[in-house]
Amino acid sequence: MTNFTSLTEACDAVSAFIQRCAGDPNADGFGELALGLFVFQFAHNTPFSNLCQAENLTPETVGDWRDIPTVQTRAFKSLDLSVLPEADRETLFRSSGTTPVDRSRHFHCAETLTVYHASLWPWFAGHLVDESANRLLFLVPALGQAPESSLVHMMDIVAKRLTKREHCFAADGQWRIDCQSAVDFLHDCATQNEPVTILGTAFSFVHLLDYLDTEGIDFQLPSGSAAMETGGYKGRSREMPRPKLHQAITAKLGVASGRIICEYGMCELSSQAYDGKLGQANAAPRLFRFPPWARARVVSPETLADVELGQSGLLQVVDLANVGSALSLQTEDLARRHADGFELLSRVELTESRGCSLMNLTHA
Amino acid sequence: MPEQPLDYFLADKPGAELTHSLIAEASRTLRRNRNEYLATLGNEQIISKLVEVANLWRSPDYPLRQMALDADPEETGFPREVLAAGLDACFADWTQEKFFMLLTQEFGDPTRLQSFASQPNRTYSMVNSPPLIAHIAPGNLPVPVFQSIAFGLLLRSAQFVKCASGKSLLTRLFGHSLHFVEPGMAATLEIAEWDGGNESLESALFAEAYCVTVNGGDKTVESIRQRLPLAKTLVGYGHRVSFGYVEKQANEVMGTQTVISHAADDIVAWNQHGCLSPHVIYVEENGSLNPARFAEMLAVELEARNETMPRGPVSTREAAAISTARRFYKIRAANNAGAMLWESEDSTDWTVVHEDERQFQSSPLNRFIFVKPIEHIDEALHVLEPIRESVSTVGLAASEARMRDLALPLARWGVPRICPLGQMQRPPLAWRHDGRPPLGELIRWANLETA
Repeated sequence: MTNFTSLTEACDAVSAFIQRCAGDPNADGFGELALGLFVFQFAHNTPFSNLCQAENLTPETVGDWRDIPTVQTRAFKSLDLSVLPEADRETLFRSSGTTPVDRSRHFHCAETLTVYHASLWPWFAGHLVDESANRLLFLVPALGQAPESSLVHMMDIVAKRLTKREHCFAADGQWRIDCQSAVDFLHDCATQNEPVTILGTAFSFVHLLDYLDTEGIDFQLPSGSAAMETGGYKGRSREMPRPKLHQAITAKLGVASGRIICEYGMCELSSQAYDGKLGQANAAPRLFRFPPWARARVVSPETLADVELGQSGLLQVVDLANVGSALSLQTEDLARRHADGFELLSRVELTESRGCSLMNLTHA
Repeated sequence: MPEQPLDYFLADKPGAELTHSLIAEASRTLRRNRNEYLATLGNEQIISKLVEVANLWRSPDYPLRQMALDADPEETGFPREVLAAGLDACFADWTQEKFFMLLTQEFGDPTRLQSFASQPNRTYSMVNSPPLIAHIAPGNLPVPVFQSIAFGLLLRSAQFVKCASGKSLLTRLFGHSLHFVEPGMAATLEIAEWDGGNESLESALFAEAYCVTVNGGDKTVESIRQRLPLAKTLVGYGHRVSFGYVEKQANEVMGTQTVISHAADDIVAWNQHGCLSPHVIYVEENGSLNPARFAEMLAVELEARNETMPRGPVSTREAAAISTARRFYKIRAANNAGAMLWESEDSTDWTVVHEDERQFQSSPLNRFIFVKPIEHIDEALHVLEPIRESVSTVGLAASEARMRDLALPLARWGVPRICPLGQMQRPPLAWRHDGRPPLGELIRWANLETA
């Protein structure tokens, strides 16, 4: 088993593995790396090691990456799940929420952020960047306005990686869409015949679509245009079933349905899953896939064992890119297991659902 | 009875196409049957038939009861043992004496249902019952529907029960027992199922009904309120929550095991579904029974109950909610972050979480209970302020004298029902649901003033 003596060593090993996967998606070494990170996190992440000891699942007893204790994403709200000494916690990603106790805290330092960037970019590029040199309309705030949002951070990296492309961040620090700027940008794309990729949360798309409705504007964006939508409403807009939202994006913006890609991510994770690739036909049901350095499992909520193919259960993710926190997470999402990915079903309803909306936007 | 398949109510006929005009026509037939027969019956006649129905349901070999208990838990919502206990608790209360007590409580003089009876000051009053009541049945428990139907019969009202799709079996079985005992009374009852919010069917029903009762989520009640013509009476019961409260000397008076056993009774009854089941049990600190010790003993009791009355399977969604909450409390417990957890092994059958945080916490249900320490009743009322408007029932474990002391501040604060711990899911027949009169809201009064 790999024994990491420092965070730098662990980060380097994960970055190297990510790079290896770029050349060979079936690259060996996931399990060994996961176990190595487990030992490292057990040694340096106290709340996590307390959990492991309580469950008697420690480096001495765990020999398979599937047995690494999972941390409930919700635990990031009340515990500092980090291997970083307090002085090194330079960047903080928080989930959205109305009060500090509602919000997850995921700490990063320069080195873990480097891994985060190394993880997010190739998988994003592989799914949302194709030969059309699209402009980019981000329905999220610029990094300076929402520095604690992992989604904003991710979009900032995307903008920087695609620096030659014209882009616009069309939301303020409160996630309010500057609809006029967005419309001006889209209008320009349409008149210049420049395809555009629009990226945002579901509620941001609803805000934009509502504005277009009110103003009686319909776009037929140039062919090659695309959209990336990431779930969650958090009471920020009316909720639309995903197929309806996508139909509206096609109807009001003229983005072909095959070029609308959903992203699944959250502030507690450092890798993202997508449910399609630009230029590839999407079969129904649409399946999410993580990159080779993050593995999703669908487990029975009764026994926490893997469910059979076709069965539904809780989604767990072992994300090697979570070097500085906890690599094995149990999400609050229900999913169906498929041979080649997972189908996202719904959120777990944690309190009495009647009368309450519990959609949680963990990413923003 | 019955060897042949159930075939009487609309809901008995799978695939029957319901239409606006069919609902309207069925409603008119019910009203006509009511006018011709039910309206002519006396209290004794109706009550004796209801008692007969209840006695059938209490007989272990009654075929319809057996059908209910043998049914797929997915259809009834409950495994055999849980359902049997719930049905027994309900029908044990259906006695002639208790039905008359209910009428007396509501109307003073039960004869007011048929004619004028005198009041002070030379006035007379009688009850005007709605000719047709529409019930929008809750999806979780069967018992409230049985009671609603019995109350409608007491008022001599025709009734149309709308169940959620695939959720009508127990209501139909109850309807068939009524049909067996007294076909004339059953001829004023219709049971149909469709998914809530069907405007076409519901507008027909609401147009024909004089009064609509709704048991369900707040959204359901609100949606119906908006669609119901102003002249119609809406009796809506939205979502409520309940909790237990163990006074610090309760174990000395009642015995520790008794208190634990009563708490377990309330947790396993209907697997905690329904507004009367506890989410949290508050245990007073500084007594001889430590709250954490209470939680630990409760865990042992729930494990034992799972042998005698298994919780049974739950949906993936329900299990996921339990599993998620457990995983969250487990890491908190491991970090001494004010939580301890006890759980069934390799299943979500039961869970006890002891949490120092005193705020009310909604449970994922299905035998998942929070135990929280509390200093005294004033502290409880203070931390419960956010749910003040939503409390249904408080189950108290205390000596009789202390129960009265505790009940007064609870009642003044707004709790509509206070009962002994262990009885939370067994309200008496005449109980006032959410503090409201069970029959009084369904009817209109007619007054006669004489010179």
